Amino acid sequence: MRLSGKRAVVTGGRQGIGRAIVDAFLAEGCRVETCGRGERPDGIDGAVGWTKLDVSDPGSAGEFASAVGEIDILVNNAGIQVEKTVVDSSDADWDLVMGANARGVFNLCRAFIPIMARGGSVINLGSISGRAADPSMALYNASKAFVHGLTRSIAVDHGPDIRCNAICPGWIETGMLEAGFALAGDPEAARADAIARHASGRFGRPGDIAAMAVWLASEEAGFATGQLFTVDGGLTAASPLRPGLFQ
Amino acid sequence: MGTLDGKVALVTGGRGGIGRAVVSRFEREGAHVYAADLAEGGSLPGDGHGTGEFLRLDVTLEGDVAAAMDRVRGERGRLDVLVNAAGVEIEKTIEETTLEEWNRCFAVNVTGMFLTSKHALPLLREAAGRGAGASVVNFGSYDGFIADPGLAAYCASKGAVHALTRAMACDHGPEGIRVNAVCPGYVDTPMLRSFFAGEASGGGGKTLDQLQSAVRNVHPLRTYGTPGDVANLVNWLASDEARYASGQLWVLDGGLSAQVQQMNL
Repeated sequence: MRLSGKRAVVTGGRQGIGRAIVDAFLAEGCRVETCGRGERPDGIDGAVGWTKLDVSDPGSAGEFASAVGEIDILVNNAGIQVEKTVVDSSDADWDLVMGANARGVFNLCRAFIPIMARGGSVINLGSISGRAADPSMALYNASKAFVHGLTRSIAVDHGPDIRCNAICPGWIETGMLEAGFALAGDPEAARADAIARHASGRFGRPGDIAAMAVWLASEEAGFATGQLFTVDGGLTAASPLRPGLFQ
Repeated sequence: MGTLDGKVALVTGGRGGIGRAVVSRFEREGAHVYAADLAEGGSLPGDGHGTGEFLRLDVTLEGDVAAAMDRVRGERGRLDVLVNAAGVEIEKTIEETTLEEWNRCFAVNVTGMFLTSKHALPLLREAAGRGAGASVVNFGSYDGFIADPGLAAYCASKGAVHALTRAMACDHGPEGIRVNAVCPGYVDTPMLRSFFAGEASGGGGKTLDQLQSAVRNVHPLRTYGTPGDVANLVNWLASDEARYASGQLWVLDGGLSAQVQQMNL
């Protein structure tokens, strides 16, 4: 097992990518602590610790770190998406998106890095949307670009003790993605069009991202730090000019 | 007063779609311009012969390139600006591309750039030595960053151009020679019309008008570029205003590559 004897904190482990990372870490022999804004979710493995936590709150993040103690792996996965342009975004939207996606990552890093074991690995969830823009996702896109910048800073400032990398997922089959298609005029056509833009011929699955997280957490990735790893089925390798998909 | 007054420039592919626009813009800015190309009317169908002093040149032949630089030296005694715009596109996947086609694509797009730059260096160095500054502008492409379907050799050759641009900037910057690449997105040229009308693009069944209208809508600016748009950037990079600009890849694409794919939601 690739993570046996390691101790990890994964934020946002209730569902989707976070839950897949929790499960993959467990399967690799890691002790896992996760958290979310609500009560402990049903179905999560009994060996996993759960803390009710809002990552955007600095005080709670500090208390969480004190309670958990030394760890080897920190995965900053918790994130929120608001689908609006700059002009449509309210102050509350800013607080929500930047609070979780930007300040939350900062809070957890500041709280845990001082008590991480030497050789520890911080893994942040960035996004392809932090590198190129998805329409009407202004604050989300910007918050992920923040994560990319912070990832490099942590790698530079806290090496060689700690490695820090970001994973940039593309379109992953989660409740968030299904909700997006449900809003389309023709959900089936929208789905087919989006799949056709992937060299992989399918969307990602939470497990695809968890697989990268396991690798980045493991000793095999001992020389990997300060980088953004895109896992998107080839979506962003292709030009948007796809005459076969023009309507 | 023009931004290139008194300068001498050589533009390869100077009778092609974008090359013509660069040549005529340079002339308006006061430069003496050699439009170097395989034929006076360019190698793709266009309108008439274009402007600039025509210089017959196959950029893949070292003897031709050396002779071209000798001519420039003999006639003008200087060269301040070199624009490497000559390029060809093979509209195929790697499986369909023959070795001959692959080599042809690299010979023009990459080896040609190497040869013209190498043989222009003595002239460019002299220009820089006179304090005028010398500028090389290479033609990269957004295809050097992200791929269009069925354009494998072209995409790879443009990636090579980007790396060569940085290498040249690094090696010859200390001599006062600036080297940059422009990376156009969709620009209305004979080359792109040929790509869109061809099988490789996957747009079969649609007319060129339908395809181009769709192309506009994929761009955040809802328009695609003209050769004149690219000439505006090339002109700036060639001019002394860009004296601190070197080693960079300048993407000019109406915002095309700033977005993740534009899904039909």
